[in-house]
Amino acid sequence: MEERVESMGVSSGGGAAAGGAGAAAGEVDLAALMDLRARTYGMLARLYRKEVDLDVLRELQGMRFPTATGNAKVDEGYHLLYDYLRGAWDDSVTELAIDYVRTFIGHGVNGYSAAYPYESVYTSERRLMMQEARAEVLKTLRENSLKRGNWTEGEDHVALELEFMQRMTLRTAAALREGREDEAVRHVRTQRTFAQEHLLNWLPLLTGDMRLFARTMFYQGLAQLTMGYVEEDEAVLTELLDGAPAGDGE
Amino acid sequence: MGNDAAKPFDDLWEAEAADDEFDPLAADDGLIDQEEMDDDNPLDTVDFPTMRNMPEGMRREGVYTPERMGGAEAAVRSLLDHNPARRPVLLAILGWCEDGCATSELTRRVDEAQEHNRSVYAPTTLCRMLERAGALELEMPETSDAREDAAGGVEYLEIRERVDPVWRSTPEGLAVRESLTQGAAFRDIVLGRDARYASVYRAVMEAVERAPRSKAYIDALVDAFPEVQSPRRFGGHFVDMLERTDALEWRDRAWRLTDLGRSLLPDVRELAEARAASSDPSGKES
Repeated sequence: MEERVESMGVSSGGGAAAGGAGAAAGEVDLAALMDLRARTYGMLARLYRKEVDLDVLRELQGMRFPTATGNAKVDEGYHLLYDYLRGAWDDSVTELAIDYVRTFIGHGVNGYSAAYPYESVYTSERRLMMQEARAEVLKTLRENSLKRGNWTEGEDHVALELEFMQRMTLRTAAALREGREDEAVRHVRTQRTFAQEHLLNWLPLLTGDMRLFARTMFYQGLAQLTMGYVEEDEAVLTELLDGAPAGDGE
Repeated sequence: MGNDAAKPFDDLWEAEAADDEFDPLAADDGLIDQEEMDDDNPLDTVDFPTMRNMPEGMRREGVYTPERMGGAEAAVRSLLDHNPARRPVLLAILGWCEDGCATSELTRRVDEAQEHNRSVYAPTTLCRMLERAGALELEMPETSDAREDAAGGVEYLEIRERVDPVWRSTPEGLAVRESLTQGAAFRDIVLGRDARYASVYRAVMEAVERAPRSKAYIDALVDAFPEVQSPRRFGGHFVDMLERTDALEWRDRAWRLTDLGRSLLPDVRELAEARAASSDPSGKES
């Protein structure tokens, strides 16, 4: 199972991929697995939160892109990102900024002019922001003692939802390292529920629209990678919970 | 008012929520009939223009292009004239790219050159402006082949070499630079159209040659000359003209004479003396 997720996760210049190799050969290092998941969710959240700047571009170019993860969408996503990034240079930052606006903001007023990155838009009848989905995400954040900090937009933004997964993953890793297994299981359960009830509920629609509006291979690839990664991750979380002792509410 | 201020926020939210008419995000149903929308083809539901279906004719081209300006040299000159604050760095870029300059190196040089005169334009944006005007060309290197490797049982792709495109000045760009950096603009404006102020220019240039000066110092210096009283001219005019003709630069929070300005100072002195000699004692020209 770890190999399955490890082969999907991002790694930078030999760090994560090499680091997980020992564990893959022996027993499963769940904490390391959580670190890898957190890194991937963190990267995805960053790419949706705002435009790529030069520092992020350089960091992405230093990454390793797995080629055979077992998930066709993840593979295609990584290939598209790789193909774009290997020809990218300083001016690509401007090109990506333009494509970010074209993809996620658009300039029409009909509610169908971009891949709007808010869950409410895709789950409300009239495609409006700040609807029920936002209230539910806000409730989940509060239940998990998370504040939105300096975030000034709806909490159902895809970047915030992905970052929520990252935060819960980091908490899981910390709980595992400190021997608090029940707490770790609870965190994993929260993540799976959130992935099922929120991310997977609307990511197919969002990423479908991204493929419609984005013109660069970068955002085309990001759409595929996000969809494939969250699908696979949910399967991994389910597999983990299947082997875990039943907790409250399970 | 006092009572309202004491109300908890919850009350305010409830009051607003109770007003069913208030929905700032609602679509205008007079323009959009949501019931008629075709869910399978959302882009075709409404006739609002989007970037995707904007007609070619509505798209705006660059302003300073050879096509619009009637040639690359004219386009480059117009670009420089309309961006006086970027003129020094734009001309410098043309010089650095005479034999080709990699983007990474050019970025470093541009950032260094603009250390005291920052711009919202990124170095590549400045290059793109020159490219659109026909002064620069971009040479994109071939991207290296996809490189596959494996570590820890995971096969992956890796970027070993980043592309670093090369910018190269065109003959038209170099011709404009040649004509502008040899003092042609200075001769045209300072020694030509503004010749009646030769003594003022000489005073300003000599002052900044001796030491870097503030704008206030130059204002006070200029104000002492009778030529600037009518029509009224202030220090800013002379700073503008000297900067536009590459004789003056702002660096380390002060105005300084450039090398070009220093080389042209004898011409200004000569002109000022000639004009003084040809003037009558009352100061009026003969």
